[in-house]
Amino acid sequence: MSVTVNIHKTHRQFTAGLEAVPADGETVGDCLSNLIERYPQMKTALWDAKGRLKNQIEIYVNMESAYPDELGKRVNPGDQIHITVMLAGG
Amino acid sequence: MKPILTGGEMERYDRQILIPEIGVAGQEKLKRARVLICGAGGLGSPAALCLAAAGIGSITLIDHDQVALSNLNRQILHGDADIGRWKVDSARETLGRLNPHLNLKTSTARIGAENALAWAAGHDVLIDALDNMATRYALNRAALETGAAFIHGAVHGFEGRALTVIPGRSACLRCLHRGEAPEAGRFPVIGVTPAVIGAIQAAEAIKYLTGIGELLAGRMVVYDGLRARWSEFKVNKNPECDHCGRPSERNTP
Repeated sequence: MSVTVNIHKTHRQFTAGLEAVPADGETVGDCLSNLIERYPQMKTALWDAKGRLKNQIEIYVNMESAYPDELGKRVNPGDQIHITVMLAGG
Repeated sequence: MKPILTGGEMERYDRQILIPEIGVAGQEKLKRARVLICGAGGLGSPAALCLAAAGIGSITLIDHDQVALSNLNRQILHGDADIGRWKVDSARETLGRLNPHLNLKTSTARIGAENALAWAAGHDVLIDALDNMATRYALNRAALETGAAFIHGAVHGFEGRALTVIPGRSACLRCLHRGEAPEAGRFPVIGVTPAVIGAIQAAEAIKYLTGIGELLAGRMVVYDGLRARWSEFKVNKNPECDHCGRPSERNTP
């Protein structure tokens, strides 16, 4: 059983329209790398030019914020990762 | 002791005084309350209308912009005849018509890091009805310094979110984010989204001011208007947060 990565609406264009993608890994970082292997366009959606998670990306594991050490956060089979995007409009 | 609410006010707020959690005591708290609303646009419009209607005694409304035609799909404080006017002038008329008991202060100041603290001073609640993250962070910091509750709202398209920050008790806006992000610019939005989120912000303010219910402190709600679905994410205080963390661990002054 793998981890489920829930994809934000604005990123589904990079995952063939899929809202949730199974991924394997022991950490959030592993799972995101695994996601990017299959959906390479997610790379520029998530990482900045220096290879860091973009400021506007938020990661939640099992509906709880994983900030600030998102990528190192350990996950277990069956866990849910949500990738969301900071909203700035008002 | 002289009653705080007049006979007219008792009748005006009769239906909400009937709510057991509010009652006359709660209504009096609302009348004594001072709320700062930063922004008279998509979020500020419904938030200000709801709070003025509910009998908040004093509101300070700040917005440095003028009404434009493309604002009118969502900024319901303003109408066609207001195009080109200061938003706060238009808002003053609308809110004055709605509730003449409201003590409203307005300003066309531009809020930023240099003046957010001065504007926040003397208010119980700060409503984030802004359209950029930099100013939101300035207001977040001002809330932490003054102790006022900070009620965050943001929208994009059919998606919106809200989070309440109780200084010293719950996660602040900076506990979520590592820093600046691209500004929204001409972002897509339809009026129902800020109407929903602005009303939630007003509800949070009312609950905080009257001390009732459960706040969105430490939990962020995300509204997906297209699907009519809500998600709730737990947000923890970050001990190393550069706004609310322990001073020794902050990485900025």
